[in-house]
Amino acid sequence: MSTRSLSFGLVLSALAAGILYAEEKPAFSAGQIDFFEKKIRPVLVKQCYKCHSETEKVKGGLLLDSRAGVRQGGETGPALVLGKPDQSLLIQAIRYSDEDLQMPPKHRLTPEQVKDFEEWVKMGAPDPREGKVPAKEGIDYADARKLWSFQPLQNTPVPAVKEAGWPRGDLDRFILARLDERGLRPNRDADKRTLLRRATYNLTGLPPTIEETREFLADQSPEAFAKVVERLLASPAYGEKWGRHWLDVVRYADTSGCNSDFPIPSAYRYRNYVVEAFNRDLPYDEFLREQIAGDLLPAANDEEHFRKIIGTGYLAIARRFGSRAKEFHLTLEDLLDNLGKATLGLSLGCARCHDHKFDPIPTGDYYALYGIFESSRFAFPGTEIYRHTKDFTPLVPEPEASKFLAEAREAAELDDKIENLKNEKKRLAREEKKAAEEATPKLSEAAAVQLVDAKDPAKPKRTAVDAEQDLEAARARQEELEKTADRVPKAYSVMDGTGRNAAVQKKGDPAAKGEEVPRGFLTVLGGQKVPAEELGSGRRQLAAWITAPSNPLTARVMVNRIWQHHFGKGIVKTPNDFGMRGEAPTHPELLDWLAHRFIESGWSIKAMHRLIMLSRTYALSSEENPACSAVDAANTFLWRFERRRLDAEEVRDSFLAVAGTLDRAPGGSHPFPPEGSWRYTQHKPFIADFPTQKRAIYLLQQRIRKQPFLEIFDGADANATTAVRPVSHTPIQALWLMNAELAHAESMNFAERCMAAFSDEPARISHAFELALARPAEPDEIIETQEYLREMTATLNEMQFPPEQHATMAFASFGRVLLSSNEFLFLD
Amino acid sequence: MIRSLVGGSIILPAILNDLLAADGGGSAGLAPRSPHFPPKAKRVIFLYMTGGVSHLDTFDPKPRLLADGGKPVSDNPGAARYLPPGWAFKPGGKCGTEVSDLFPHIRECMDDICLVRSMRGDHNDHFQATLGMHTGSVSFARPSIGSWVSYGLGTENTNLPSFVALAPELPYAGTQVFGSDFLPGVHAGTRVLAGKEPIANLVRRAPSAKIQEFELSLLDRFNRKHQLARPVDPALVARMKSFETAAGMQMAMPDVLDLAQESDATLALYGLERGSTKGFAWQCLVARRLVERGVRFVELIDVGSHDNWDAHGDMATHAPLARNVDRPIAGLLRDLKGRGLLEETLVVWTTEFGRTPNTDGPKGRSHHSSAFSSWLAGGGVKAGIAYGATDDYGRLVAENAVHVHDFHATILHLLGFDHEKLVFRHAGRDFRLTDVHGNVVRELLT
Repeated sequence: MSTRSLSFGLVLSALAAGILYAEEKPAFSAGQIDFFEKKIRPVLVKQCYKCHSETEKVKGGLLLDSRAGVRQGGETGPALVLGKPDQSLLIQAIRYSDEDLQMPPKHRLTPEQVKDFEEWVKMGAPDPREGKVPAKEGIDYADARKLWSFQPLQNTPVPAVKEAGWPRGDLDRFILARLDERGLRPNRDADKRTLLRRATYNLTGLPPTIEETREFLADQSPEAFAKVVERLLASPAYGEKWGRHWLDVVRYADTSGCNSDFPIPSAYRYRNYVVEAFNRDLPYDEFLREQIAGDLLPAANDEEHFRKIIGTGYLAIARRFGSRAKEFHLTLEDLLDNLGKATLGLSLGCARCHDHKFDPIPTGDYYALYGIFESSRFAFPGTEIYRHTKDFTPLVPEPEASKFLAEAREAAELDDKIENLKNEKKRLAREEKKAAEEATPKLSEAAAVQLVDAKDPAKPKRTAVDAEQDLEAARARQEELEKTADRVPKAYSVMDGTGRNAAVQKKGDPAAKGEEVPRGFLTVLGGQKVPAEELGSGRRQLAAWITAPSNPLTARVMVNRIWQHHFGKGIVKTPNDFGMRGEAPTHPELLDWLAHRFIESGWSIKAMHRLIMLSRTYALSSEENPACSAVDAANTFLWRFERRRLDAEEVRDSFLAVAGTLDRAPGGSHPFPPEGSWRYTQHKPFIADFPTQKRAIYLLQQRIRKQPFLEIFDGADANATTAVRPVSHTPIQALWLMNAELAHAESMNFAERCMAAFSDEPARISHAFELALARPAEPDEIIETQEYLREMTATLNEMQFPPEQHATMAFASFGRVLLSSNEFLFLD
Repeated sequence: MIRSLVGGSIILPAILNDLLAADGGGSAGLAPRSPHFPPKAKRVIFLYMTGGVSHLDTFDPKPRLLADGGKPVSDNPGAARYLPPGWAFKPGGKCGTEVSDLFPHIRECMDDICLVRSMRGDHNDHFQATLGMHTGSVSFARPSIGSWVSYGLGTENTNLPSFVALAPELPYAGTQVFGSDFLPGVHAGTRVLAGKEPIANLVRRAPSAKIQEFELSLLDRFNRKHQLARPVDPALVARMKSFETAAGMQMAMPDVLDLAQESDATLALYGLERGSTKGFAWQCLVARRLVERGVRFVELIDVGSHDNWDAHGDMATHAPLARNVDRPIAGLLRDLKGRGLLEETLVVWTTEFGRTPNTDGPKGRSHHSSAFSSWLAGGGVKAGIAYGATDDYGRLVAENAVHVHDFHATILHLLGFDHEKLVFRHAGRDFRLTDVHGNVVRELLT
């Protein structure tokens, strides 16, 4: 594949040019050749070949060991303009005049050598060396489309299996067939308690309650587990668990990520939108359409329209950079990178600077998509220099909405005006001072500033005092506007702008504009364009293109994510990468079968949960089996269920849940300071921690600093997409369990809860086990714990704690141990 | 006592120890590893000055700038004016490398220092340049250099984190500068602060040591019972071991920070008053104690994202910041040398960028990534040299440019790594500290 950094179109023209140069055999005089051999060739060999020759390296796509190579040039263009040294990149580079292009990188050539090269270029660069130019293949799309993931979904037949009684459905037949092939025996089924704990955490991120456990154990009907799955899917906690998986992928944060990490008080609406979308089983294709183009979709009423606008928060939460607004191209890079990985499992980001090295994505495709988003208006969350927000969508009817938008714009534009006035004031003051100095010494300062405009003597010249007055007026107006900045509910979202195609940015440099490319979609997947008659951005068409059932990636990528979060790993183990460098599916037929079922179900995520969770494969025990381990130690073929550690949110929420202190109400906005008061800078960025008893998904997520608890337990990175969270077992985690204030406070609450429930000590102990582990304590555990409580009480007595505290403190100590145990922290 | 509870091979079946050794999980990710070739340095002390230290007033003497001070930089009306260096330069050590009066103590150590006067970066803003110096990327989140070193070498002391950040205040870009990003979390820098709780949750909250011992003992019994039916899961064992290590850390860290064991002479070397935990002197002495105990990478950040070296208004604000670090850094170099630690320790001194030759505010200088100074000392570097040069005004690099990527490549080389091969597969491709750039600056090596 090509490694060039120019657009696809430019690659073609360069190709043509390359052929011309390669075929050209110019005639040079003997004297010219002699000049080359004496003055030029030795320097090239000594100073340049190491990085620019066929036999060594080819840096920057540039070969300097052949005439054709020199003339074709590298990624930044032809190295020479014959006869014109000043326009030749090679000469610029050896002159060291451009800070970003200095060659050779370490040792500057001598002035004489530079002169020789200038002379040589003037002569027309005589050069007898034959030889190749760097390979410049385009992308072979026919070949690229052979990759499994670009192939249309296959309607694979369900395999026949020998043991017809084992499968509960077709999904199991796919699994069993592969196990059979390898001579693997699936484990027996997990017991009911294990299954319930597994399913409850899996769908809600919380432990089952004692009542839920008892109910399931008592239900002997064949539908008992199906009823559990329905109950869990109907719980609001379901969206809080599965919404979080999506928020990992889209790197959700409550702050912008700019130098000063500005707060975004309305970002939470998107977070809650995601939670609700999962809870009401919003079809996945519609979910994507709303996030990409919700503002452009039809809506029955304001409420629906607003909800869809909030969906575009997905686009708005792209990372912001810098202390000004000038780095917006990086925000779009972050957005395109995320969009590609999240929805298609493709990394588009590489194509910003050069054609993708591994996947069939040329730079032209990147800027075709780029133009779509550049034609959209993104809510601006404020930064250090321009601290006022603008273009947030007001979630109120007209005319209030327009009034609000205009005021926000005015306040934001005053930021520019104030900057300009400050500069003007400085400039005028300087000029006036200078004028005063130059005027006769007798002339008073007051008289000096009375100078008249040279062009229009009648008009008094604008003075520093005028600028100061305007400055004060602008500031006063801004302050007035700030007072009402929070008055309407608004969405961190995207609005449509005028559709305009983007130009390729050479090497990803927004200042180096290349050819314009029409707005459109990936060539390898059809390469459709935004219709020319579309006056807007084309986001609606992009959303439709991504979610077309014929798109081979979208459904596959999502069913793989669903599978991953049920079984601990995807059928494709690189959920964000379905390209050349990603892993191939372990069960390709099953993946396509699932994708078909997904589309058939109307893209219902809950339907996928039912399909998967009611399978026999999901119900297997996590036990070891040495015979199977010998063949498949990594459990690639799912002969057992994969044991897993609770994730960060589950650890915290479980502490609160078993202690009875978890606030189950949905989270709202964070208690940020009012917008008008923000003065965050890169020197004093926004940093806060807003404790809450609500679920961990509602904790403040910052970009400049990870939420301290979530960081300890491998929480997602709010700066970059997280497809698979790494799981670590660190002493820092152990210290949290041993010493954290929250761990201690909640173990006290846990103790008080158990002690209030029963007065009898064994019953209390067993209650604690049931709350934490979804099973009663065994007799030996009761005895051991009772001994422990006795010893602990004696110790507390020795330490002269007040006697009335002994029982609770001792029980809390035991509770802390229980809540730090592997049985609590791991799911079988 | 803890060792008797969980550690050792008595309770861990041989197969599990094997699993752990084979990087099965958790702290095993920190097992010591050999680099690509025999290293010159085995550990790093990374001294980071926040805000952008002026090279023109510290390590890069510019007589021409002194002579032309006050003159406009160009003929344009309103052109900025050259600001002469605010401190006199004098030769230091036998090598005679000139250093300004801002760093009189470091100047005396120039025979041990390999000065680079031709550093270059990619960005003129603090946030991005700070990220660049730490992660190799000025825009996107990437693992920090300390976490790469931890990932590459593991640690020699599992009772302490492999990568410690001594940062009383957060620098620009916050904790990202010592984070591990997509590298496993064990490689993230652990922030250690002076005071009662040097690491988050380090201080025992159980009412007494005996009670904590009781708790860990009961926990071990519960875990072992749970493990009976799950004998070969390395994650379960790693979790059990993590409590052992945590308890070890609880004891080891206060010991590291207990400076009472240091002699008056040593304290004087660093300029640290007995009992004080303030300033860079405390950080430097603690850094020595950490590397002595096998910590792989210690990063010292002098001040936070405000009131730092960002001298826009008045260069005089460099003076107290220099006083904070000058004697302690010289003391650290001498102390490491005296104990024979300097040979295998690489000391790095750097900042996010230099400052402009012309004025910014009335008497200050602006951000300047086109040229600045940094230095190395210790394991494997040529001591007593000054490498590279800027032009007459210190505006641009005139010879032997060392880009931040080259600086990183050289540091990794000294630790025994080919910077192009120290990679981690993430999101479908291999990432490195130096991205697709970087050349080892061989002229700096012994």
